[in-house]
Amino acid sequence: MIINGVAIDDTFAEAFGMRATRVLITALDIKWAYHAARAATGFATSVIGCGCEAGIERELSADETPDGRPGVSVLLFAMSGKELAKQVERRVGQCVLTTPTSAVFSGIEGEPINLGKNLRFFGDGYQNSKMIGGRRYWRIPVMDGEFLCEETTGMVRAVGGGNFLVLARGPAEAMAACEEAIAAMTKVPGAIMPFPGGVVRSGSKVGSIYKALSASTNDAFCPTLRGAVKSALAPDVGAVLEIVIDGLTEADVRNAMHAGINAACRIGSAGGVLRISAGNYGGKLGKFHFRLHDIVK
Amino acid sequence: MSALTFTLRAQPPHGMDLSPLIPDRLANHTKAAVETIALGSRGLRVADLFTVSGDDAQQMTIRNSSVRLTHIGSGMTQGTITVEGDCGAYVGLGMHGGRIVVTGNAGPFAGSGMTSGGIEIRGDSGDFLGGALPGNKQGMRGGIIVVRGNTGDRAADRMRRGLILVGGDAGAYCGSRMLAGTVLVSGRVGIMPGFALKRGTLLLARQPPELPATFQDSGEHALLFLTLLDRELKRESERFGRFLPLRNRVRRYCGDLATGGTGEILVLA
Repeated sequence: MIINGVAIDDTFAEAFGMRATRVLITALDIKWAYHAARAATGFATSVIGCGCEAGIERELSADETPDGRPGVSVLLFAMSGKELAKQVERRVGQCVLTTPTSAVFSGIEGEPINLGKNLRFFGDGYQNSKMIGGRRYWRIPVMDGEFLCEETTGMVRAVGGGNFLVLARGPAEAMAACEEAIAAMTKVPGAIMPFPGGVVRSGSKVGSIYKALSASTNDAFCPTLRGAVKSALAPDVGAVLEIVIDGLTEADVRNAMHAGINAACRIGSAGGVLRISAGNYGGKLGKFHFRLHDIVK
Repeated sequence: MSALTFTLRAQPPHGMDLSPLIPDRLANHTKAAVETIALGSRGLRVADLFTVSGDDAQQMTIRNSSVRLTHIGSGMTQGTITVEGDCGAYVGLGMHGGRIVVTGNAGPFAGSGMTSGGIEIRGDSGDFLGGALPGNKQGMRGGIIVVRGNTGDRAADRMRRGLILVGGDAGAYCGSRMLAGTVLVSGRVGIMPGFALKRGTLLLARQPPELPATFQDSGEHALLFLTLLDRELKRESERFGRFLPLRNRVRRYCGDLATGGTGEILVLA
């Protein structure tokens, strides 16, 4: 299959079941909501080393938030409910509670996990709870007034690790295509691209020659190793970048991949985009398979 | 189907406990079966006091109600009871759901021990609104009580959770010994509001002339939870419209310092 001169590989992205939640972070103005959200979703590119994958889903207007202030919707994904609960509490406690004027609320219905339930103890006995509309909120006294947080957020089953690879003539062309793709994908609700700028250059394969490492560089897609390994790259490919997608549902991942691949293909071979591929493990590890040809149809 | 209606034919000779007449217990009862239900301990039956009509136990109505009718809706978990006129003590005592509307005045201890559901009193209410019964450790434990008129003394005494909205004035010792929950008074409050209040919020629309010495001024603040409360009340603006909009800027008095000081009286700025 070729779109605008870009070859679409007859392969699939392999994704996994994860646990996810959505939290809504608000503040006095959108700038401070972003400060809190960026901090809370920092160092959350991969579950391998960060414990969770997280990102900003979208900006919320004042009439979309529980407290009528501007805010940001954040999605967090982890491999288990226990790890997700740990990461949510740690990140909200260190990054949202600490941000001036911020407040945090659950943004999704599901199995409850702690949001502010334990953070309340920061109040040292001066914390107060309020039940409003069947939900419990904690009011924790802080130096700029009160930090308001909902007691729990909902945890749902989700999909993590959807991906596609952009193979281009060089790094500049690959970056330009990925930026277009990310711009389109961030408009898709229910999905995040957790890597810096949404893009990862260090795609990995399972295993390593070093026993301590469970993953190592994806040598088949490293252009500088062409000739040294069984390369997957044609001679004209000078750079490969990957976009990883986590979504609340399979459809969210599919929609984000659709938006991203189409955006990259719009640049086309004239812009140096040569091929779109995807990462998988032979279909044996992941429960969800996203065939590129089905997605771009 | 039409509302199951109990029309009181004459003033009962003494206080009459109507707790058997709740939607939970009357579902699937025939009119004849309802009429034979015993009331009180003096051998009276429903048919001795009321004319019964209608068949929808989820929508009950008590007509020509009297202050001698007590315990209306006590322990109910579902349905609606409309009381046309006044009612006696203990309306909604220990209710766990459903809704009670009293078009007139209600007696003391309305909503005591309730855990969920709603009570709307369109007139005035007696003392101990949502308060604890003598000997009980907790009063109201959830749900919402709305009083359009005034309420008596000791409203929300030992209240544990829930929301009480008073459109008029509240008597003395409003919020006494409160454990948690929120009470909003649109009018004036009597002496010693928040006496021995442990936790919880007494939200006053008007600055009281005097507060207990064991409440200390914490200054003026914008509290976000009031925005959430305002938004929640707006969802049912038909019921709560008279209390809206609820501003979130308040003067906070922390107290009662004699009992820990983690509660508060908030006066709308």
